Amino acid sequence: MGNVLNILFCLSLLYLATTTRVTAYLKVFVLQSILLFFIVMLPLLNHISVFTLLLPLTILVVKAILIPWYIRKKIIYELEINTTIESNIQQFNFLLLSVFSMVAVFVFCNIITKDAAVAPIPFSAAFSSVVIGLYVIIFRKKLIVHVIGFLVMENGIFLLGIAVASEMPFLIELGMLLDIFVVVFLMGIAINRISSTFAADEVSALDKLKN
Amino acid sequence: MFFIPGGRKLKYQLSLMVSIIHLVTSYLVFTGFATPADSQWFRWDAFTKLFLLVLSHIYFWVILNSWHFINQSSTYSPEKSRKSFFSMMNLYLFANTLALVSNHLGLYWVALESTTLCVAPLIYYYRNKESLEAMWKYLFLVSVGIAFAFIGILFLALSAQGTDIFEKGLFLNDLIEGSSKLNLVWLKAGFIFIFAGLSTKAGIAPMHPGEVDALSNSPSPVAALVSASLSETALIGIFRLLQITAGTQVHQFAQVLMITGGVVSLLVAVVFMFRVTNFKRMIAYSSVEHIGLIVLGAGIGGPALIGSMLHMVYNSLNKTAMFLMAGNIHRAYKSREAKDVKGVLKNMRWTGILFMLAFLAVVAMPPFGLFFSELMIFRGLIEAERYVLLAVILFILLFVFIGMSRQTFSILYGKTDTSSGQKPATDEKFNISHLSAMALLLLLALSGLFMPGSFIGVINQIAGELTR
Repeated sequence: MGNVLNILFCLSLLYLATTTRVTAYLKVFVLQSILLFFIVMLPLLNHISVFTLLLPLTILVVKAILIPWYIRKKIIYELEINTTIESNIQQFNFLLLSVFSMVAVFVFCNIITKDAAVAPIPFSAAFSSVVIGLYVIIFRKKLIVHVIGFLVMENGIFLLGIAVASEMPFLIELGMLLDIFVVVFLMGIAINRISSTFAADEVSALDKLKN
Repeated sequence: MFFIPGGRKLKYQLSLMVSIIHLVTSYLVFTGFATPADSQWFRWDAFTKLFLLVLSHIYFWVILNSWHFINQSSTYSPEKSRKSFFSMMNLYLFANTLALVSNHLGLYWVALESTTLCVAPLIYYYRNKESLEAMWKYLFLVSVGIAFAFIGILFLALSAQGTDIFEKGLFLNDLIEGSSKLNLVWLKAGFIFIFAGLSTKAGIAPMHPGEVDALSNSPSPVAALVSASLSETALIGIFRLLQITAGTQVHQFAQVLMITGGVVSLLVAVVFMFRVTNFKRMIAYSSVEHIGLIVLGAGIGGPALIGSMLHMVYNSLNKTAMFLMAGNIHRAYKSREAKDVKGVLKNMRWTGILFMLAFLAVVAMPPFGLFFSELMIFRGLIEAERYVLLAVILFILLFVFIGMSRQTFSILYGKTDTSSGQKPATDEKFNISHLSAMALLLLLALSGLFMPGSFIGVINQIAGELTR
């Protein structure tokens, strides 16, 4: 069951490579966050208590409700961001690159996790997410999409944490979620200001600072 | 402490009080008068002592100057930015202190990310296009960088899997003591990711652009704070990792990586020193250069390591003085472009002289401390028999000196061009920023000549911990 969820997580990444709509990006992020919630929940099913539920529920609230709500309401709607994403490379090439990278990541992770006590599928899924998140940041032009790319990366890192099974103390996990939320919040404010002072929402507008 | 109601003056007084308490406390901890007990979450080793002292020192001078700074004409200090200034500063101090004393890499990570979040609004202080762009780039690049550092922390967890360190919860002291039990491959991978990730924040090339933009476009007290204390907070993470590798075979690999980072930083600094037209940006690249030297020295080990620790302390004092003076010039001439700024020495006597002294210190002229620390790094290079590297570094430093003095002397001596309408204030009064810069430079010269014993003790302790 866990592997099914992880594979679904990977498939959602491929959707990022095919779609060109900002709202679809956001939806993929929400879907990933919900999957993440279930992946965290799965091992806890046998011994559910209030305390064990606290972390998965916080993930759900912050990543699947609070952050998407903020991005949708305060950035996409308020700024009336044009919902089509401009890209630096051809759509088809982007998909090709993503697929090849994911295959490479899976093969590579399968080899390196042989000796370690790590489940290869969650590990590979997590790494794919980090890589695709980076691609989104590099190849897409809209700032808001960069933020979503960053969030996809963060989701990957969260999944990596689960794959490694290193249990960070609860307070640290909470601190991380808070940090991520504040980062997105500040980035949202910055995008707001950028769109009013530069009259643009793409990264190419940010070229004032040069040597 | 953070969101103080009431007038700005009260906020300032409270912040100053906090900074003094912080300074006194860190002095007590440093000299060993007060030794807080090591607990599970907090750590008071030699690293913490030294870095905490640097932080509280810089913070004190910055806060002392900020009252004068934020009361400048409102075109330069927007009301909205003034309102949150002290709250953000205090939050920054809290987060940074937490990062320095934490005994868990996860806690360190959370605190380090928080410092980014506190500094980002401060970078946007002037609320213009440039500062907005700088804030965005800093926030984004550093956040992505720190995310990578977290992957490194997870790899570190993987390397400890199956040992009792993992079960105890990955605390730093367990990792350092039990480093021989760690899986070397994952430790190596962890070091690469953490080093690359923290480089964005420390300003080590090629990950430096976010840092440089932030330093050149933020107000001078904030630039001083970022360059002199925040980079060090990122460095402590790298040093802690080096400390973990010290007992293993990965140590050599880590050293090579650090030396490479240092040399690349020096190269980037020298190339851009000749290309920048903006004098604050020039100081920012000088920051990249010095961080490069620090990392390089730590990578070489031996006397170079001691030199690099001293260099870190001196560089912080020096950069604070330099940025404060650069801020004065920027406000008087209303420009950061070197071509608009001429004849500082004639028009702004105090600032001119102090900027010149700070410049002499930054290019490591005696009797300023940086001279001695650089000598120490060179001695380390000779003892390690790395003559080619030494030659390359000396060559680079010579060109950094040429590039930097070309710009600085044109700023200080050039003829004032009255036709362009730049009319700086010619009757500059002695103010708190001059006093601070004077005190910092004096401290820099004195500590180079007469090193207190407790200082050497702590630095030797650090060197011992990094070369077990």
